[in-house]
Amino acid sequence: MTLPRASLLASIGVLLVLPLLTQSSYLHHLLVLWMLYALLALSLNIIVGYLGELSFGHAAFFGIGAYATAILTMEYGVPAIAALLAAGIIAGLFGVIIGYVALRIEGPQFAILTLGFGSIIYTVTTYWVDLTRGPMGISNIPYFSFGFGLPAFETARANYYLVLGFVLAAAYACRALVTSRTGRAFIGLRENAPLAASLGVDTFRMKLLGFVAATVMAGIGGALYAHYVRVITPELMSLNYMAALIIIVIVGGRGTVIGPIIGALVYLGLLELLRATGAMRLMIFAALLTLSVIFLPGGLVSLGRRLLQPLFGHRRGGA
Amino acid sequence: MSQPLLDVSGLTRRFGGLVAVSDVTFQVAAGEIAGLIGPNGAGKTTLFNMLAGSMAPSGGRITFNGADCTALPAQQMARLGVARTFQITSLFPGLSTFDNIVAASYRTGRTGWGHALVGARTYRQEERKAAERARDILAFVDLDRHADVLADELSYGEQRRLEIAIALAAEPTLLLLDEPAAGMNPEEGQRLVAMIRQIRDRGVTVLLVEHHMRVVMSVCHRVIVIDHGVKIAEGAPEAIARHPEVIRVYLGREVVGA
Repeated sequence: MTLPRASLLASIGVLLVLPLLTQSSYLHHLLVLWMLYALLALSLNIIVGYLGELSFGHAAFFGIGAYATAILTMEYGVPAIAALLAAGIIAGLFGVIIGYVALRIEGPQFAILTLGFGSIIYTVTTYWVDLTRGPMGISNIPYFSFGFGLPAFETARANYYLVLGFVLAAAYACRALVTSRTGRAFIGLRENAPLAASLGVDTFRMKLLGFVAATVMAGIGGALYAHYVRVITPELMSLNYMAALIIIVIVGGRGTVIGPIIGALVYLGLLELLRATGAMRLMIFAALLTLSVIFLPGGLVSLGRRLLQPLFGHRRGGA
Repeated sequence: MSQPLLDVSGLTRRFGGLVAVSDVTFQVAAGEIAGLIGPNGAGKTTLFNMLAGSMAPSGGRITFNGADCTALPAQQMARLGVARTFQITSLFPGLSTFDNIVAASYRTGRTGWGHALVGARTYRQEERKAAERARDILAFVDLDRHADVLADELSYGEQRRLEIAIALAAEPTLLLLDEPAAGMNPEEGQRLVAMIRQIRDRGVTVLLVEHHMRVVMSVCHRVIVIDHGVKIAEGAPEAIARHPEVIRVYLGREVVGA
């Protein structure tokens, strides 16, 4: 067994055992949040890390997924599992429309456009009271269940395993992406778009594919969140969450699979540790982001890689 | 010449009132090494960009392999089998030399994300072949020792070779080289000449735009000269070197007011 494979299996082992080490439901709750953030960060990482575009609208797709599943299960009695999939598809459809318009533009203008779309969706969610119940939000969303008489995911610990499953699936999908021709086209676009085009990469189609895949993932993440927390409000799509996701991806290490997962852990850990400092936290996070961009552009993962370099020898590029 | 590989006829490009390329017609036969030269500002780069699909012509036709491909975008020209290098070094800086080549072989593959997700056999075969080919190409441009080095960290000469390797990875029928010898010393220039010949021997037709007369004269079978956007001469290098119009353009220009 090779060393990377062994460490991968060991990490998965740790993740599986983690919630069994404590009975504290507060810690279980934090673990679920970690997994939810990790899932979202992995999805945003496809846009930020692989395609190399900054999106400030990602939390909106998370919100769309959360609202889709809440409305479908509560108003239309759709089983949770079907609503979860539908949430992914609905978020993806919004991704197609927004991506189709916004991806024709690159760089900072694209980032601003996504911010605009994100704000529109946030505003519509707040004011379309008939559909979304407005700022009061939707509560008493049913727990997630696979149906067929299987028990629902009611405890934090059960939800942890549920979301962990999705995180592992997403991580696997990202790994498959970067080792495929499609992913190399994404990375080529990030590194040098005119060169990628001159080699036959359809730049717009590739970006749309990556963007939509990311929004589907975010939509499913939102649905999992809704079924776990069971109360959702338009605040899900606020700037706070968008900023948090970007901090997680960049501080963790964009363009890698473990980076966003580690970033989510660090973000949540700091959020809890610094709870006493109140609003000061935001400034600390801003400083963290700035420092990371300046001194550690590859994120925490690159720090680990630098330390482990002598162990693993030369790196073989890519992911 | 039977049917030419590349047939350019009446190609024109205007920028407002300025005509950068005016009614240029020439052909490139399969298996040939053709050169496009001209003084600074002659319109070489504009012409080159139109051929590569990164700029639409204002008039005229480009036919490649018998099919009209006037004003096709770069990615479609690439899919037809036209690869190019860039005047200013252009590679994937954050990837290793090896990964640069594998990423550049995009056109030659068929599988994608879906195949990788299910670990399809076609995917595994294609990946193995792509890696093999990348090693071959790296050996060809003499960069195999640097396979794991970031492209950004290569020396200038190595980067220029990597650029050619990137274009070759697309397995083109026609390779367009934009000033490949720019910034090279004479020794590197000679090495480039040898490499271009080998590329031709692998069955790739080459069209290069170049400033370095020595490189052009020693490697090209046929040279096309443009000045002020107009083709002024075409022929074998020896004939071009003696062509009075070419000598006038390169050595001394009559001073004419505006």
